[in-house]
Amino acid sequence: MKCLLIASESAEVLFYWTDPEFELNIQEQYGASQEEGEKPPAFEDCINTLFAPIIISCSTMVDRLGDSYTSFSTENNHTYVLHQFEECLYIAVNGDREEGEEDLKRKIYVMKKMIEVLFGMVTLSSTLIRKELRPQDTEQRTNLWKYLQNLLETYSRLQEQDQSFLVEAVERLIHPTLCEQCIEFLERRLVQQINSSVERAGEEVLHAFILVHTKLLAFYSSRNASTLTSSDLLALIVMVQNMYPSNINLEDTAPEVGALRVKEEEYHTLDASEDVENTSAPDIFYTPEPSPTNRDSGTDRDSMAEDSLQTLEAPPPDPSNPSRVFLEVTLKEGCYPMMPHSMYCLPLWPGITLVLLTKLPNSNLAMSVYVFLEAFAKLEKRLSEGLEGSAARGQTSIQDLRNKLDKFIRALGTLDIQVGVMYESTDSFSSYCLLSVPSLVPWCRTMKSQLCGVYRQCFITENTVGGGNPQRLSPSLQDRALTMVQEKLMDWKDFLLVKSKRNITMVSYPEFPGLIHFIYVDRTAGQMIAPSLNITDRATSELGKGPLAHFIKGKVWGLVNTSRIYLQKGYSTVTLRDGDYFFCYFLWFENETGYKLEVKDLPILPNDSAPIGMLAWDYYRKLLRYYSKSHQGEVVKCYELLTVHLGVIPTEYILQHCSQLARKLWEPSRIPLL
Amino acid sequence: MNALVLLITVFIKVRRVWRTDNNQWQLWLRSLCLTQEGGTVTSDLRFYYSIEFLSIFFCYSIVLTWFSNVSLVIFTQSDFLVICRCINFFLYDGSKVKGEGDPTRAGICYFYPEETPLDKQELLCGQLAGVSRCVSELSSSPVRLLRLRRSKFAIRMKDDFLWALSCSVEIPDVSICDFLDQLINLFSFYNGPIRQSYQIYSQEDLAVRWTQYLSHLQGGATELHHIFSVLSTIDSTHIDPLLLLKAALILQACQRCPLVLAGCVLYCGRVVSTQMPPDLTVKVMVHEMETYKQEQRPNGLSSSSSSGSTPLSSPVTSTTVFLTATELQYLRSAPVDRESRSKSTQSTPKESNRTRKSRLLSRTLSDTPTTDPLDPDPTHYVPLSFHYPSTPQSTIPDESLFSPSPSFHTPETSGHNLSNGKLYHEVEEGVTGSSYDHSYNSIDGGRDESGPAEGGRSMQNKDLRHINGQNGGSIVLSGERAGALRFRGQESPEPGSQRMGNVKVFKEKEGQGSTGLLQADTCDVPPYSPSPGENSTEAPLLPMSLYQHRVRGLVLALLVEPDFHSNTAATEEVYHSSLASLNGLEAHLRTTALGAPGPHGPYTFAHFDCIQNTLTTNLSSRPGGAQECSFVRATSLLHSHFSHTEALQEAIIMQSAGAAVYGTRSVAQETYFLQKGGAVRNSGIPNHQDSAFSLPSKARHRLMKHGVNLL
Repeated sequence: MKCLLIASESAEVLFYWTDPEFELNIQEQYGASQEEGEKPPAFEDCINTLFAPIIISCSTMVDRLGDSYTSFSTENNHTYVLHQFEECLYIAVNGDREEGEEDLKRKIYVMKKMIEVLFGMVTLSSTLIRKELRPQDTEQRTNLWKYLQNLLETYSRLQEQDQSFLVEAVERLIHPTLCEQCIEFLERRLVQQINSSVERAGEEVLHAFILVHTKLLAFYSSRNASTLTSSDLLALIVMVQNMYPSNINLEDTAPEVGALRVKEEEYHTLDASEDVENTSAPDIFYTPEPSPTNRDSGTDRDSMAEDSLQTLEAPPPDPSNPSRVFLEVTLKEGCYPMMPHSMYCLPLWPGITLVLLTKLPNSNLAMSVYVFLEAFAKLEKRLSEGLEGSAARGQTSIQDLRNKLDKFIRALGTLDIQVGVMYESTDSFSSYCLLSVPSLVPWCRTMKSQLCGVYRQCFITENTVGGGNPQRLSPSLQDRALTMVQEKLMDWKDFLLVKSKRNITMVSYPEFPGLIHFIYVDRTAGQMIAPSLNITDRATSELGKGPLAHFIKGKVWGLVNTSRIYLQKGYSTVTLRDGDYFFCYFLWFENETGYKLEVKDLPILPNDSAPIGMLAWDYYRKLLRYYSKSHQGEVVKCYELLTVHLGVIPTEYILQHCSQLARKLWEPSRIPLL
Repeated sequence: MNALVLLITVFIKVRRVWRTDNNQWQLWLRSLCLTQEGGTVTSDLRFYYSIEFLSIFFCYSIVLTWFSNVSLVIFTQSDFLVICRCINFFLYDGSKVKGEGDPTRAGICYFYPEETPLDKQELLCGQLAGVSRCVSELSSSPVRLLRLRRSKFAIRMKDDFLWALSCSVEIPDVSICDFLDQLINLFSFYNGPIRQSYQIYSQEDLAVRWTQYLSHLQGGATELHHIFSVLSTIDSTHIDPLLLLKAALILQACQRCPLVLAGCVLYCGRVVSTQMPPDLTVKVMVHEMETYKQEQRPNGLSSSSSSGSTPLSSPVTSTTVFLTATELQYLRSAPVDRESRSKSTQSTPKESNRTRKSRLLSRTLSDTPTTDPLDPDPTHYVPLSFHYPSTPQSTIPDESLFSPSPSFHTPETSGHNLSNGKLYHEVEEGVTGSSYDHSYNSIDGGRDESGPAEGGRSMQNKDLRHINGQNGGSIVLSGERAGALRFRGQESPEPGSQRMGNVKVFKEKEGQGSTGLLQADTCDVPPYSPSPGENSTEAPLLPMSLYQHRVRGLVLALLVEPDFHSNTAATEEVYHSSLASLNGLEAHLRTTALGAPGPHGPYTFAHFDCIQNTLTTNLSSRPGGAQECSFVRATSLLHSHFSHTEALQEAIIMQSAGAAVYGTRSVAQETYFLQKGGAVRNSGIPNHQDSAFSLPSKARHRLMKHGVNLL
């Protein structure tokens, strides 16, 4: 019984996702209060009615007590987790004991991350994001919610099955030669060719990578691109998995198991064409469609969001249309979150995907918007703090800001973007200036939401001039790129598919008797190494099949959650004797040459802090920043190691194994990412 | 400066509420200055808490002083150092707020702190009750825990009532939920069913009681007491074990009266010996503490050392208390040797013509060791060796716990004291039956729950159980029982007709008692288990009586059948049989230095006995340094981890640079250990040479001398 709900402060449902049991439960409850013979109301209304008291109480508590609910748990172990982001309240529910409070909190944060990736800075304006998440058009709303629901389900599936999503770090295919070849190919052939083509419509490929299921084969970033953060990369993998899901159970077919015995080098010549049958048509996914600005005469002119309200039916999605994603960009000038990119997912074969991330021609606009947004946020903060002393200085900076804004608006005007309201606002600014300082605060807010509106108009609705084709690399260019990579990897295809299932195995670690499983994570690079845990009935791993493998998997998942609880409270080393098993967890810092750095106490986080991980909220990045303060001028690397041993092994040997293992694993992590 | 303003507001508030005279006003001022000068209040937060606590403490002590009409109250500094754990507590009656127009305040039965503005009370009660109802409807199960950003509420919903208790987020979930359950059970123990008690008593009267129970439960010495629900006991390592034995014998002697169910001996608010399960002992202690405090106040100044004369008008008091059916059934069936008791009451004159039992009961310590074969290991903790299957897990080790019983308790050793062949046989029977019975019981314990099919079997077993007399007893108790038997063998009737009357009464009562027992057995009531679901609220509450006999700091508290007090013969029997022994015990306890701190080493440890709910620690009650704090934090984290991971046996957790804490647990105990000082070298990377990993062996080694065996 699971559910995730996003509601506005006025108890309006902005998004919901439920599993069938929860839906049934809600309907039964609602049905009980319903008179007989009446038509059952829409599910959305049921869920709204039932949750409304909680939502309203939540805002009452915030208003009157300055405190808000974070979780409820009931005697039959149902768990409710609540979290408020700006004006959106997220509620996650679990009634089947499969997820704990931390899992639900993580789910909420991941949902928020996905919404940020999809809507960018629009999320900064609560009015706009409310309209964006809940389009008035029912069909559009259904499509959007369906897409988000699928995305959430995909994430949950990955989190349950995939170790890389368990620890939230990217897993790479361990095959250095092939990896290097692919990177070279992506750099010299693919990206160069696309970026020099005339059909690229002004876009520029910044990053290109090849995914085999969820594992990364090769990643190339062009020289002038900023690095892609682990958080964004993981979010993109979720999106790719959502488009081209790899069903683990289906693909574990017999030939693959047999193939293990074949030497890797020979393997790629074998035929494993059965897999191709699993080709599933890509799921219908949501792509923000270009919309001609269609102004209803009745709509409120002041609201920019209404301007482009789509009333036309969305055309069927074209696979060659990119997804608009908003990713963090770090340039010399600074860090810009949520910069627009286009993501092209080109399926090479089922399970293997080429992903291209391009920069939009007008992405400078997004930077300007962000700069202004920040300036207004700062101004607002200063004003509302009411620092009288800085009033004079504030006056000049306001004037300065105003001049810059004027220029920006003029520039926007040339781009034929609706800026009428902004003009009005800036005009009224002069009169505001004469008034007292507090009256400027609401003006700051208006300006901010209008900036978000401009941003939305530019990057979400894609208001293309002249109405022609949407902004994208031409389909023929995409096709050519696809064929090129297909040709290159043709011989490796089957090998890669097997390799992704048997990336590394425990068999290759005979020097550690009693070691059952481990996970090694390089948090600086956001990468992990772990023996494959295959739990499907058909696949036999060293753990055997079925129940035992499931049991070990459960233990590993549990250990990761436990280690996070302790890490949150500042404990970097944990050893546990649990039944017949012995678990170890270590987190430590090294410099670039592998020399251990001196220990320092980790920060203790409050109970309601964001979940520890890299996908939704990069805890480790903050940790590294915190640690680097005392190690300036040195590259600080952060590592984690989790091991599961048999309990009968003496503790001394177990700990020796851990240190040897850490040393041994240090090497493979040197494979260049870029 | 801020603090001062705060202080003054507190003053004004308190003053308004209680309208006290100037003397007290000055007294407060002095005590407050004391706390400030003490310099112990460091952070703002802690200061705030202590202020909050102070105000409560003041109000509370004022109530007390008013009651006892004494003008001067002496505060010790340590009183102020206790950091208040409970932030809010309220009881809300939803049935009073049904209609649209009903004000929320109508439903508030009690709100702590009482000086909270009414609109805030209404806000909290209204919102929390509303949300809890909504959530429990959605999940079709009552809400248990409700967390906010800065605090959390343990919730208990029953009928239309809602109890909510909030504390800071650092306290583990299990602890806060236990705390609330204890509080609710405590209330119903003294006041009966909640609905009924609010019909009988006024809201104000009950409010005073809630405050009293709250402060009682919060009165733990260290933060560790809040993490574990600790029963504070007398420090067994600093006391002559014979005193503990003596206390146990007093209780045994009292139980000869069939109207006495079980009892405990308390000294200065600490348990010396108890026959009751820990949660019941805690309940009994509240009343003792209260009367103790009330007497201490008038006594405090005069400090009369005039022995013999009791300061109170009557040293014996009695109160009506309410027990749940399971508690009662447990008390009635388990510890009392009914069979032999009936034999002793039906004793022939020949048997009864022995040495006077009164002499035996008050025998001096010097003659105890020679006649006492019972205690081979003086370090063994005598009084609390009371085992019962509290949780499903604990039924498993029962057998192993009890197995030493027959080997240790050989017929020869007990035999030479017995002049009576019949009794000798009986003891032997009990002993041989013992091992059989225990194994049988441990099987039965599992089956009892499974179905009534076992009813016949347990019937068959009943006799044995009765002879053995202590289903779920332990080594020492069986030894004690032999001692008790020996007394019985040597006992003689009181001179005169009074004794005869007693016998009659006992006969009658015994008949009732055994039929009751029979019924209980055939009903196949599951073994005693204080599961939260069926606590007080669920099961019907049965009125019983709490008998208390005070000798200065020492209190004998007995749970007795309600008609005990109307039975003067029984009352006098119990009173006189225990009076001399109590006086003797008190004299000994008074001379023993109490509360001497345990040996402090370069380590900190806490050892919690999950069955007796006792805590052994060398952590001082004063707020300690950083290392103590980190120890408490780690302990609370590990304790909550242990509580929800069944298979977890031991853990070492280590902060990068800080010290490491080792925690280990078995079904019966939890132990936490921290190594202090410069010897600690932890590299932070996986390194088997880190001193953190040698903690288990160090703990085993070091804790031996504290009587903690980790092997």
